Amino acid sequence: MTDTLMPGGGVARRPLHFIVMADCSGSMKGEKMQALNFALRSMLPHLVDWERDQLQAQLLVRILAFATAPAWFVADPTPIAELATRWRNLEYVPMGRTNMGPAFRAVAEVLGPDRLERRALRPAILLITDGLPTDPPGGFEAGLDALMSIAAGRSALRLAVAIGRDASSEPLDRFRSPEVPVLVADGTDEIADRLVTASIAVSRMSEAGVDRGALAQQLIPAGSDPSRPRDRGGLGVDDSIL
Amino acid sequence: MTRSGWLVLTASARGASHVAMDTPNQDAVGTGPAGPDGVVAAVADGHGHWRHLRSARGSRLAVTVGCQVGTELAGRLPASPDAAAVTGLLTGFAVPAIITRWRDAVLADLAGDPFTSAEQERRLPGDDPVIAYGSTLLLAVAVREWLAIAQIGDGDVIGVRADGRADLPVPGDPNLDGLVTTSLCGADPAGDFRVAAVDTARVPLLALLLATDGYGNAQVAQEWPEAFSRDLAGMLRNRDEQWLASQLPAWAARCASGDGSADDTTVALLISPAGRPPLAATPPGSTGRDGDLDEEETTIPASRGDTVPSSPVPAEPDAAWQAAAPTAGERAAERPGPGGQGRAGGAR
Repeated sequence: MTDTLMPGGGVARRPLHFIVMADCSGSMKGEKMQALNFALRSMLPHLVDWERDQLQAQLLVRILAFATAPAWFVADPTPIAELATRWRNLEYVPMGRTNMGPAFRAVAEVLGPDRLERRALRPAILLITDGLPTDPPGGFEAGLDALMSIAAGRSALRLAVAIGRDASSEPLDRFRSPEVPVLVADGTDEIADRLVTASIAVSRMSEAGVDRGALAQQLIPAGSDPSRPRDRGGLGVDDSIL
Repeated sequence: MTRSGWLVLTASARGASHVAMDTPNQDAVGTGPAGPDGVVAAVADGHGHWRHLRSARGSRLAVTVGCQVGTELAGRLPASPDAAAVTGLLTGFAVPAIITRWRDAVLADLAGDPFTSAEQERRLPGDDPVIAYGSTLLLAVAVREWLAIAQIGDGDVIGVRADGRADLPVPGDPNLDGLVTTSLCGADPAGDFRVAAVDTARVPLLALLLATDGYGNAQVAQEWPEAFSRDLAGMLRNRDEQWLASQLPAWAARCASGDGSADDTTVALLISPAGRPPLAATPPGSTGRDGDLDEEETTIPASRGDTVPSSPVPAEPDAAWQAAAPTAGERAAERPGPGGQGRAGGAR
């Protein structure tokens, strides 16, 4: 086999950015933080396997730890296989609050048109929290507005995992993609399952013409409200019309 | 010394993801004549979303209509046009004609082959039937010293200057953020078309590339048009036509592979008289190009398919386009002989 002499700078799979927003506030201390780390570690092999078996995307992961302020735990887009081999645990922030607004802004900054590759697939954002946002008045809204003001933020698959029923709040409903419900982990033992579910959603992101309505059906826990509106189309990867 | 006439090479490859999901190549490419020594080329990308369930047909109709209109535009060009006149023809004639005729062609196709019950189940209630045929279109008409270009939707149009710099003649569209695209089936296709008129006497170009987004989405370099232009300018200096014709399918296939975008990838490469390389590698002792080159000149066949041929192969003529324009061979036969005009190579 001979190499193709081809004009340009070479070819590669398209990047699919996956950003994990992990709640590291004080309330995550102890068992929840252990469970979250276990769940994230458990999710990685699924994504590694998926990346190996599919043709369309290179999965690049970043992790944002947020509490009173956000801090990038994995700042650079990191190939999933590399992250899996050098995993280190997140830690909670003593007395840390659950300020989501600044975290949304931090994500918006890295997904801006000047930062995101021209050929990147729609990103995926996974928010994991055990509580309600504690932002100052207007802080949550301003941060979410910043994220939604950019094309990549609006079009991203936005998944929310609530640790405990109380965490499944109206603010999370405002963050998540309309077609995908908040994934509730009733106990710490369910966090891993929910993150695996989220990873399945992420892994379908690169499928051309993916039907988010059907995807949502897969993700809805039994007994959930079936009256959600059907995907109205126009959400396929790179195949949508304005 | 340069040979007269523009040359077109085309290639299309089915995306690896389409192979995996058993969906067809939804891209299309077409070429046609534009006056005695000009060419028309068009590429189109049928949308992959399930809502556009007949987009492969839609893209084929788009390039057929686009080439027909492009040929007509060439015939309407005044003797000594300026940029305003060319742009006026694009916006005043070509764009509305393409929109109307594509829609008519879609409805005619639908009348002859109504949606099956399975297709009906996949359609959204109230959807305009043309949505099922949704496609982009990139059209270039090379006639005399002018390039008239029209584009709706994503994809790339790249001019290659003699010094290797890239020229991006078509205005950008802020709505195309890499995530969604405008379309012939959109609500306001006339407003979504972007046009350009390039006077190659003022902006000498060696070549012009039309590419569906499967090509650009495979390119690693953020500013890939610059790298592409620089490299292609060198190839046009150092390689012959047969080599280029044999390589273009490989380029498309590589972009469409699992190492690239995995998306359908289709390109039309228009090579200007100034950019045309020798027909074949110069044999030892030869003086290179001579007066017989045009006599020996043959149409460079398009290569279109799901695999990369080891050598250029003639494409099967498309019935719809065949009815609208002569085949590549017929066109060649119609052209003046030695020292005369060039030919459009490639057909869908």
